[in-house]
Amino acid sequence: MSKEIDVTGEICPRPALITRDHLEEMDAGESLLVTADYPPARDNIERTCQKHGYETAEVDAGDGDEFTLRIVVPDEAKGPVMDS
Amino acid sequence: MAETATDDTETTPPIRLTEYADLHGCSCKLGQSDLEGLLAETGLDSDRDELLFGVGEDAAARKVSEDIAIVSTIDYFTPIIDDPHEYGRIAVTNAASDAYAKGATEQLSFMVVLGLPKEITEYATDILSGIVDAVEGMEGVVVGGHTVINPWPLAGAAVNAVASPDSLVTTQDASPGDQLYLTKPLGTQPAMGALRVKDGEFGEQVREAADRDIDAIGADALEWMGTPNRAAAKTFEAAPVTAATDITGFGLRGQSKQVAQNSGVRFEIDHIPVIEGTAPLSRMFGYGLLDGDSAETSGGLLMSVEPGGADDLEDELDSRDVFYRNVGQVVEGEGVIIEDPTIEEV
Repeated sequence: MSKEIDVTGEICPRPALITRDHLEEMDAGESLLVTADYPPARDNIERTCQKHGYETAEVDAGDGDEFTLRIVVPDEAKGPVMDS
Repeated sequence: MAETATDDTETTPPIRLTEYADLHGCSCKLGQSDLEGLLAETGLDSDRDELLFGVGEDAAARKVSEDIAIVSTIDYFTPIIDDPHEYGRIAVTNAASDAYAKGATEQLSFMVVLGLPKEITEYATDILSGIVDAVEGMEGVVVGGHTVINPWPLAGAAVNAVASPDSLVTTQDASPGDQLYLTKPLGTQPAMGALRVKDGEFGEQVREAADRDIDAIGADALEWMGTPNRAAAKTFEAAPVTAATDITGFGLRGQSKQVAQNSGVRFEIDHIPVIEGTAPLSRMFGYGLLDGDSAETSGGLLMSVEPGGADDLEDELDSRDVFYRNVGQVVEGEGVIIEDPTIEEV
């Protein structure tokens, strides 16, 4: 199952925080599509996901600054994503 | 937009300067690779005969006589903090830092750059007061400026300084064996990010993640950002500093990479001092502080010093009451290596 969230218009650190909240509610194997338009958010979301074993990939470059990332919840995350 | 109170009893929501811009402080800089591409496309990436040094350095230097060089730079950015006086103070401290990073510490003249959205132009006085206070603290002079209406607030200055050509330091002469010193702890980006969200829906999460009061972390960050790098730069005269830069929007890794590239060496960073409480915030926000990736605003100087001169440099920094840490060394090779650095909370 996949879920989509739109955090366009949100500025850091909110895109990463919103993304983390949603991932926290999801099960292994599910994927989250995150659409954002704040350029630094891409690195921040990818960094915080990869640190915890979540795979990320860009699925859509979008118009202008907009981009969409797919984040897959791993079988075993390296600790809960909310565990900073 | 803030409303104007009609009488003393009505509560007016404070204007939040940071809400008028999407990117804050040195985070608003154009990306490193984009900037390099822009300079290459316009033919500005090569050395110029008229200058001692220019593009690729923190500031440019032009020799006007055997004894005198004019060091020039410009830096301005969007609000890093809602307090207009603090914003001005930090913006101009950061602007001066580019001259200091080249060893130009005297006779600084500031041409102020100020931009404000039409609806908050009344903030100009406080921002400019912060600028003037900081300039006076650095024994500089505000000589003029340019003020515009702009959708995002902007503040900073074009800076000119006078120095002996022989006293200037570039990013080009770090050598294998040199020791690396950093003169402020890192962590301004997560500290300021936490201030922006502490009162909203994520406030509780952020407070739980941080092992310290968010306002105290923010106050420390402001103190560091408002500390001029002048005293640190004055040590160049007494120690064999081979290269220097200031740590700003590209973070410790990005700024180090630039110096390593310009010097044709590799930087190995094995120790990172951070403002107490910023490490868990960075992990939560995905800022990469512990990897040296987090943007800094008005950060410290990163200096390489000949191995035999490290004691002299430390003595000089101690005598001027400047914070410093030995953060690594210069080796043969290229790029920047930051692997499992020891993290010290300051």
